[in-house]
Amino acid sequence: MNQSALAENPSLAAPGATPGLRGVVADWSADKQAFAAPWGKAMMWIFLLSDTFVFTCFLTSYMNVRISTTEPWPNASEVFALAVGGAHIPLLLIAIMTFVLITSSGTMAMAVNFGYRRDRKRTARLLFATAALGLTFVGMQAFEWTKLIVEEGVRPWGNPMGAAQFGSTFFMITGFHGLHVSAGVVYLIVVAMRVLSGFYDRKGAYETVEVAGLYWHFVDLVWVFIFAFFYLW
Amino acid sequence: MSFIAIADRDQEHVLHEPQSFIRKYVWSQDHKVIAIQYAAVAISIGVLAVVMSMMMRLQLGFPDTFSLIEPERYYQFITMHGMIMVIYLLTALFLGGFGNLLIPLMCGARDMVFPYMNMLSFWVYLLAVLVLLAGLFAPGGPTGAGWTLYPPQSVLPGTPGATWGVILMLVSLAIFIVAFTMGGLNYVTTVLQARCSGMTLMRMPLSVWGIFTASVLGLLAFPALFVSAIMMLLDNVVGTSFFMPAIVSLGEQTNYSGGSPLLFQHLFWFFGHPEVYIVALPAFGVVSDLLSTHARKNIFGYRMMVWAILAIGCLSFVVWAHHMYISGMNPYFGFFFATTTLIIAVPTAIKVYNWILTIWRGDVHLTTPMLFAIGFIFTFINGGLTGLFLGNVTVDVPLSGTYFVVAHFHMVMGVSPVLVVFGAIYHWYPKVTGRMLNETLGKAHFWITFLGAYAIFLPMHYLGIMGVPRRYYAYPESIDFIPASAAELNQWISVAAMIVAAAQLLFLFNVFWSLRHGAPSGPNPWRATTLEWQTPDTPPKHGNWGKQLPVVHRWAYDYNVPGAAEDFIPQNAPPMEDAPKGRDHGVKA
Amino acid sequence: MVLAGALVLLVIGTVLFHFLSPWWLTPIASNWDTIDETMHVTFWVTGVVFVSVNLFLAYAIVRYRHRKGLKAHYEPENRKLEWGLTIATSVGIAAMLAPGLAVWARFVTVPEDASLVEVLGQQWSWSYRFPGADGRLGKSDTRLISVDNPFGMSPDDPVGEDDVLVSSPELHLPVGKPVKFELRSKDVNHQFAVPQFRMKMDLVPGMVTYFWLTPTRTGEFDALCEQLCGTAHFAMRGRVVVQEEDEFKTWLAGQPTYGAARAEIAGDPAAGRTSFAPCTNCHGAQAEGDRELNAPKLSGQAAWYLARQLNDFRNGVRGAHQDDVYGKQMIPFASMLADQANIRNVVAYIATLPDERPESTVFGDPARGRRIYETTCSTCHGGSAQGVWSTHAPRLANMSDWYMQRQLENFRAGIRGSHRQDYYGAQMSSIARTLADERAAADVLDYIHTLGQ
Ligand code: HEA
Ligand code: HEA
Ligand code: CUA
Ligand SMILES: [Cu+2]
Repeated sequence: MNQSALAENPSLAAPGATPGLRGVVADWSADKQAFAAPWGKAMMWIFLLSDTFVFTCFLTSYMNVRISTTEPWPNASEVFALAVGGAHIPLLLIAIMTFVLITSSGTMAMAVNFGYRRDRKRTARLLFATAALGLTFVGMQAFEWTKLIVEEGVRPWGNPMGAAQFGSTFFMITGFHGLHVSAGVVYLIVVAMRVLSGFYDRKGAYETVEVAGLYWHFVDLVWVFIFAFFYLW
Repeated sequence: MSFIAIADRDQEHVLHEPQSFIRKYVWSQDHKVIAIQYAAVAISIGVLAVVMSMMMRLQLGFPDTFSLIEPERYYQFITMHGMIMVIYLLTALFLGGFGNLLIPLMCGARDMVFPYMNMLSFWVYLLAVLVLLAGLFAPGGPTGAGWTLYPPQSVLPGTPGATWGVILMLVSLAIFIVAFTMGGLNYVTTVLQARCSGMTLMRMPLSVWGIFTASVLGLLAFPALFVSAIMMLLDNVVGTSFFMPAIVSLGEQTNYSGGSPLLFQHLFWFFGHPEVYIVALPAFGVVSDLLSTHARKNIFGYRMMVWAILAIGCLSFVVWAHHMYISGMNPYFGFFFATTTLIIAVPTAIKVYNWILTIWRGDVHLTTPMLFAIGFIFTFINGGLTGLFLGNVTVDVPLSGTYFVVAHFHMVMGVSPVLVVFGAIYHWYPKVTGRMLNETLGKAHFWITFLGAYAIFLPMHYLGIMGVPRRYYAYPESIDFIPASAAELNQWISVAAMIVAAAQLLFLFNVFWSLRHGAPSGPNPWRATTLEWQTPDTPPKHGNWGKQLPVVHRWAYDYNVPGAAEDFIPQNAPPMEDAPKGRDHGVKA
Repeated sequence: MVLAGALVLLVIGTVLFHFLSPWWLTPIASNWDTIDETMHVTFWVTGVVFVSVNLFLAYAIVRYRHRKGLKAHYEPENRKLEWGLTIATSVGIAAMLAPGLAVWARFVTVPEDASLVEVLGQQWSWSYRFPGADGRLGKSDTRLISVDNPFGMSPDDPVGEDDVLVSSPELHLPVGKPVKFELRSKDVNHQFAVPQFRMKMDLVPGMVTYFWLTPTRTGEFDALCEQLCGTAHFAMRGRVVVQEEDEFKTWLAGQPTYGAARAEIAGDPAAGRTSFAPCTNCHGAQAEGDRELNAPKLSGQAAWYLARQLNDFRNGVRGAHQDDVYGKQMIPFASMLADQANIRNVVAYIATLPDERPESTVFGDPARGRRIYETTCSTCHGGSAQGVWSTHAPRLANMSDWYMQRQLENFRAGIRGSHRQDYYGAQMSSIARTLADERAAADVLDYIHTLGQ
């Protein structure tokens, strides 16, 4: 029936491209859809916007307490140094972690790409690869946490190197990000399964893969900021 | 792609039409059922909050007569009262209740875009409410830190419920935010992506605009509360020091150090101020539709109204520190926030003017919903204007922390949006149940609530101007500057409050009685133009639109169009010839 | 129709209420009359808007109420009108904002010649600190706060030596001199507010906040806490006494400096023993108390509390009320103690006496008493009634319950705690009033008895 409705008044199908601000408004306020995107994708974008605010609040709070705290702030590059064959290499582990996560973004992008080519096998493989990389990241994070807790004696409520807020913000924010990654891993695996089972072929749209991709890239992007704030500042 | 989606929806009604009672009314994915579930829970807990306010009023009005509640109880009650009213009642009712009911119906969608998530949203909300109530039975009782939950006080002994109470409160809030996010994403996406053909954004009824903008505000503001809740939980349970500097609590040194109490206040109000507009904007939107429908006249200055809503929404993120003028933050912020705060009055003013100009030269039917709508205009003007005292930083200094503030936000939030809630219920009840609410009872309910509420809160301003502080359990006569007459005034206020609260029984009775005995309403009792009144059956069935989605040809406000036969033209009525030229409105498609 | 009438009446009523109501700004006592003026400007602007907009609303309702054949006018928008109103509103807003910001600019710039006073807040009382001759406040740190150093003064900062420590909630100020208040909190947020001064500010732990003003008339003004700070928030009270410069100077001279306070030698029990001899007649050799003579047990009570009570008796703060029969009996004995050194000795001696458990004489329902104690009393007196110095709440466990029963009655009846100088007593009486009746008191006392061991 829709088609008929459109026949009635084609003006509704596509808002005429008017120039300038009015044009923008016109496009946006077109009927049915503001964005030429499937619902899932649109919702994911909105969710990520909201999630951005969550992380922004976390990071601004981190800066705030780092300024407000009365004790000196531990030197990140020393705390996070890793001893390889006696030599202390600052930020080694984190460098690797970051590299892993960035790579996973790459594999994710390829997965999306193959998804649109309806290439089930490759898509699924790449998704699993991405999930695997994600797991590696979480694993390394777990390793880093244990190192901090066991060797450095860092606790959420205090640490030998100075300001208590160092530990509390670190565990809270990396922990929260870690949860995001873990959730993402589960999400990716589910999607991968469905890809294999041909669920999306039947549904006729691989957009879910892309939606998962959006989420995954976001989580990586956030990590870059956390990295900058915690390890480089 | 978009058309595929909408086309899908056309078939949907044939798809899952639930059969079993459970799937239909309890574990339901139908936005209309979810709306009712939300409203029912919200109002029930709202009644609890009203009862608490009555206990508070008894204490304040007759401190020595009934020693019903000790100081702890009092502080626990104001905290629960405030928190329930703002978040668990009004936010949930406007977005979860009216949002769920109206968005799909007014946008011409079959349901929310993700019905299952929508259903989860309700059940998670219910969980949040239960956790909140659990606080009442927790050891030490619920938190008594005030709804603003300022640390360090909220997590230290010396404040009631500083352990379990506040933990449960924070957990409940976190859960609520999850619930809201699931709902909010649905509302926003539905409005943006699932409107029926012809329903451009600039043709949407203002109710949808208000609820939509409020949902966006929620999605961007609640994160701040979420984050601060997590940090306060850690401070409380794990012993971190986010908000906790070095402290000597009741003579004992604590292990806290270096935290920043002001950080919490900034986070809280970055959420808190948008929150008050989350409560206000849906009311603005809904009341616009009530006025237009019952004045049989198009809403005046529709475009301005939309832009005003959006402007208020944006501005509400840059005024938060007007709650912190004398919090000890750098006083230079005062200049910036005072300016932004008063600027908000301009778009709000536009809305007020346009409401009144909608009545002007209209054909005003003083039905019950209309009474409530006009009552809203009056109380909102009053409450909004007092906001300007508080926004103007210097004037805020003597008034902050006094009953003037209490009066302000009750007038503007406790009275006006609540009046809209009632008006809206009288207005849409027929669509939900197929029966009218009793008008006589309704009018009685209006007069008592409207006049009574004004009598409660107007005098409070003057107590505040005199300097009577808020959040005081009692006012010892040893306070020299408070005359005995203030105590009498408090008694009168309390009496008025009792009466108004009692009047709500009329309303509740009306709601239940009319379910069976109300006059059958027919599909469109108010002769309204918006889509929800054009559904094939009343109450609408699952999928809302039967076989075909409606197609919209005009904006939502074509009342008394010159040359039209009827005094209203439904949005989906086919376009007619000899349409007077005009932008989007008029009969032009 | 009715509605329109109602609206008109409400507008008129509101305006009348505004002009006739006896509740209005307290007579101002500081230089901030500019704040009042800004408020009046705001009242006029908003008042005009309130009246005109609402009357127009009422008029519109009457004029266009539904009648047969009435047809609404079709007018989607009217740009001219809308923009006109917008601009008019903006003008009104600016008219209010401009003076406001101008006054605020004066607030943020503290005059150079302003003298300094520190307000120190804690749950739930005030104390104050004046810089000495050097005009500077010594270093202080929350970490250093203890029963012997309630201000958290840092002992190794010479600047602090001459700081004047005012441990009572009563603050004196000279009239006509600008004062800068520096605000510090030991525990939670508070707010130091004197309505007649108009100006006020939060106290925030971990930071020093400030505001300034010039008292413009002499008198006594209530200082309230206007930031929720826990159960006794409503009872957190102080007083500001504005007086002539010289009176103020004499008062200030009467207050101890940090140096002097530290110089005080601790009380000497041996000397205290002799001064305590007369007391034994009533309170008993071991200060175990004697019900027949209405003398309470003293042994085991906290030194700071005993000292304060002795001083209150001597200064007529306690035992002042004509119905406080037994309190009056105590006054002459307390006055026998010549000076503070004497008092410290006696108190030190009492501290050496054995702390026997008195047998209980008041009986009630301890279960019910427990509920009351744990919700209300424990906040200040501590979970096991051991007494808490920072809340100035004495120990209750193992003390004479018959005596506490009478004191509770006195507090409820205002026989004790009604003297203007008895700030902590006033707190207790407003709490004692929350007890429903004598039975509740008995229940609590019975429970308290179970706490001692
Ligand atoms: C629905 C909720 C709601 C709404 C809409 C508002 C609206 C406004 N509020 Fe209010 N406010 C609260 C809820 C709300 N507030 C709550 C809950 C608190 C207390 C929280 C707590 O501490 O517990 C609070 C507290 C509060 C404070 C802090 C006071 C303090 O603690 O010291 C301030 C200060 O700036 C303020 C200002 C304003 C302003 C300027 C508006 C403006 O948006 C008002 C704009 C409206 C108008 C101006 C009226 C209509 C306009 C006209 C008729 C045009 C003509 C006008 C002129 C020409 C002047 N509010
Ligand atoms: C929507 C918000 C809302 C509402 C409706 C109310 C309603 C009422 N409030 Fe409350 N109040 C707050 C929000 C609200 N309040 C907040 C945020 C605070 C601050 C808490 C704090 O300081 O931390 C507060 C604090 C507060 C105080 C100050 C306590 C103090 O500072 O010491 C007082 C004192 O009188 C008070 C009284 C009342 C009364 C008598 C009512 C009403 O009962 C008056 C009568 C009105 C009605 C009965 C209609 C209400 C209808 C509904 C709520 C719909 C659902 C109910 C039914 C359908 C029956 N409230
Ligand atoms: Cu101190 Cu309230
Ligand atoms: Cu605000």
